[in-house]
Amino acid sequence: MPVRQLSEATVNRIAAGEVVERPASVVKELTENALDAGATKIEILTDGGGRRLIRVTDDGDGMTGADLTLAVDRHATSKLNDDDLLDIRTLGFRGEALPSIGSVAHLSITTRHNSEPHAWSIAVDGGEKSELKPAALGAGTRVEVRDLFYATPARLKFLKSDRTEGENIRETIRRLAMSRPDVAFTLAGEERAPITWAAALPGAPGRLARLADILGHEFRANAVEVRGERNGIAVEGFAALPTHTRANALGQYLFVNGRPVRDKLLIGVVRGAYADYLPRDRHPIVALFVTLDPREVDVNVHPAKAEVRFRDPALVRAVLITSLQQALVREGQRAATSGGSATIAAFRPATTTRPGWDWRRSPAYPPLSTHGNAALGFAEAAQAAFDVGGPSADARVAVAEATADLIDNPLGAARAQVHETYIVAQTRDGIVIVDQHAAHERIVYERMKAALEKAGVARQILLIPEIVELDEAAVERVLARADELSRYGLAIEPFGPGAVAVRETPSMLGHIDARALIRDLSEHIAEWDEALPLERRLMHVASTMACHGSVRAGRRLKPEEMNALLREMEATPNSGQCNHGRPTYVELKLSDIESLFGRR
Amino acid sequence: MKVTVERAALLKSLGHVHRVVERRNTIPILANVLIRAEGSKLSFKATDLDLEITETIAAEVAPGGSTTVPAHMFHEIVRKLPEGTQVVLESSGDRTMLALRAGRSRFTLQTLPESDFPDLAAGEMTHSFKVGAADLKRLIDKTQFAISTEETRYYLNGIYLHAAGSGKAQTLRAVATDGHRLAQVELPLPKGAAGMPGIIVPRKTVSEVQRLIEDNDADVAIDLSQGKIRFAIGDVVLTSKLIDGTFPDYSRVIPSGNDKELVVDKKEFEQAVDRVSTVSSERGRAVKLSLSSGRLLLTVTNPDSGSATEELEVEYAAEPLDIGFNSRYLLDIASQIESETAILRLADPGSPTLIEDKDAKGTLYVLMPMRV
Repeated sequence: MPVRQLSEATVNRIAAGEVVERPASVVKELTENALDAGATKIEILTDGGGRRLIRVTDDGDGMTGADLTLAVDRHATSKLNDDDLLDIRTLGFRGEALPSIGSVAHLSITTRHNSEPHAWSIAVDGGEKSELKPAALGAGTRVEVRDLFYATPARLKFLKSDRTEGENIRETIRRLAMSRPDVAFTLAGEERAPITWAAALPGAPGRLARLADILGHEFRANAVEVRGERNGIAVEGFAALPTHTRANALGQYLFVNGRPVRDKLLIGVVRGAYADYLPRDRHPIVALFVTLDPREVDVNVHPAKAEVRFRDPALVRAVLITSLQQALVREGQRAATSGGSATIAAFRPATTTRPGWDWRRSPAYPPLSTHGNAALGFAEAAQAAFDVGGPSADARVAVAEATADLIDNPLGAARAQVHETYIVAQTRDGIVIVDQHAAHERIVYERMKAALEKAGVARQILLIPEIVELDEAAVERVLARADELSRYGLAIEPFGPGAVAVRETPSMLGHIDARALIRDLSEHIAEWDEALPLERRLMHVASTMACHGSVRAGRRLKPEEMNALLREMEATPNSGQCNHGRPTYVELKLSDIESLFGRR
Repeated sequence: MKVTVERAALLKSLGHVHRVVERRNTIPILANVLIRAEGSKLSFKATDLDLEITETIAAEVAPGGSTTVPAHMFHEIVRKLPEGTQVVLESSGDRTMLALRAGRSRFTLQTLPESDFPDLAAGEMTHSFKVGAADLKRLIDKTQFAISTEETRYYLNGIYLHAAGSGKAQTLRAVATDGHRLAQVELPLPKGAAGMPGIIVPRKTVSEVQRLIEDNDADVAIDLSQGKIRFAIGDVVLTSKLIDGTFPDYSRVIPSGNDKELVVDKKEFEQAVDRVSTVSSERGRAVKLSLSSGRLLLTVTNPDSGSATEELEVEYAAEPLDIGFNSRYLLDIASQIESETAILRLADPGSPTLIEDKDAKGTLYVLMPMRV
């Protein structure tokens, strides 16, 4: 067959295959156009999961008639100055979206520019451009896409159910809405109740308000502000406290220069920053916004721009991790309020019958027989009714002045220990319940960690170096990190092309399976670009030892001991959670307690 | 089958045999001990498929026969019987039960058919020799502590027994290492052991042999082949599979050019290390040895709790040296030193140290330092 140039329509359909993958990508392209046009209000309406209809209306700059005809042509855009692909400041730049959509659907655009007396409209049907017609529209642009993929039936077959596609559209809008709290979004359609996110104030409060709208109000209550800057890379955003987590990493959002991206970098960063607080299978919710010079990042990697490439990924990673860690340490004292509110929710006014409690056996029950044995009232059974399980240790502090001082501390003054496990403390405006084992475990762990950092990891030199065979790429990966590993006590050396020799191992791990450790490390480095497994193993040993070396539940504490524990918790970073991400204490505000009793 | 036997003899024998039986088994027959009565002999056999033990004692047998019963329970019963009683074992007519009578006690134990009992076919043994029980015990005692417990390097989970040297100076040598330290002991090569293959005797077998040696003056007959080893210790015969693996070339890690010689009083040294390591936490356990002319300073620093130092007068003439060791390893080796004096040959803080027993010939220990 002779070689020939493909027709314009075919070229557009091929391009559409990349840019317009599913209804959600159409919504993304059109909404991004609206944002690039400086809209402050965007309405998105979809029908049939976006298959039958997508309509995006904005109040942005709009286009002149001449621009409009050009806009639906391939590689025509107003967004790229001087053809400089290195300095991209808009969400779009490829000039592909409209012609691509036009080639696979019925596209119609109505727009009015300030300088024109009236609006213009144009239609593109399966790649066929219609005449420019005058139309009526107040301001901005309205883009309608009907019968998506009617021109490419194959693609139509690959679409999922309307519900799934609708959900994808929602997710797309959620991401865009998170990135621009200053723009009001409305998402409506046959399959859903309309959602409106009103424009929020600029800055962190507005951002948090928008995030709370989208991620739920629990997030707002448990969010920690993240902020950091280094070498022109600025990070801001919000991260959840380690006690507020999910079972998957879907609640982690990264935005680069306002563009929502999916990047493995973020998952690695979050794992690294939360390594101390969370078990492996829990994932916190985070939304981080990175701002950096557009020249430092390449967004032209992927037609749908879901991925970006940083010029210096290690630096971005470092800035993200440090900022996150700083935020977590700063707020380490705060246990999740979900603990407190869950506690409040668990309380019920004591009107409901307690199981096994019978009012007839309580002291309130009037004695039936008037000439009965009076001593019966003092019988064991009757006395039992008075036994409500007193505190295990009475911790009323003898010296009144001391109490006044203690009560001003964040965790207050210890009042009692109940069930030999929980310390009840009184603060100025509430009470605090501390899980003594979890709290002490954290304290011991932090102390051991500090000691480990100060003294370094002692290394046992191996009599017979262990040779671990790996593929060549893995060998290089592991060796590239040899310095970092040796800090943690693992000394490795190259041993021919396909193997490494382990010469020294951290002595606190005892006899370890070096082979498994090295393999684990190399896989982890390949995937996340970090050597977390070794550190994690050391910390696991440390935390196991911390667990054994700490005060157990069931031990009776003296008042002085309880107060000392509370003071130490205040002084210890991250004492709000134990090593497994459970809270070490919950705080009940006096106002909450009062509302339980209907005083408020 | 009907057997009458003295409780003491029965208990002693079961005490040997039942240890081999694992507490938890997936194959029911492995929890049982095989009892066989023939002539005037009663024999017991137990196995965990890697190790098989047989012991024969004298008993009144009429008529003979064989059966299997749960080993641990059988042992417990006999242990709790009053001393000096005669025990009568009698299998029921259909052979599904074994009745045990002693004094006024009666027990019936469920049996499993003896034909199901696995046999660790010993096969052809290529080498046979005799070793004095005391010598064999010494080989084991001095090396056992260094056996690795790490399962991935399975070939280190035992004692490597082989013939070393050549001509008249040939020795039977036992070596064990866990990758951090190494222990080596040798004996003059017994007759019949020349040309024996290098074998790795598993940890469990080694400790069973060690426990079974009661009479230090007797001889232990050893038969071995590539895959199996058999020890005949008095009335007990222990047959074991060997670890199928290659023991590393340990001779390369035994240093030869270590010129810095440190001579210490074993007892003093051991006690001093033990004392200073009191302050070290569970992890690390590093003790630092600072050597200068005629003086040894032991230091342990624990960032959590404090530090300890102790000074010892020693024979040391080489240039000053600082070197760290795992204190537990040092103590392990020190406790193996028989004579009053131990000699440590050092090179530098990153190279293996050789430790020798001044009077006990044929033993040496290698210990790798720690970086602290």
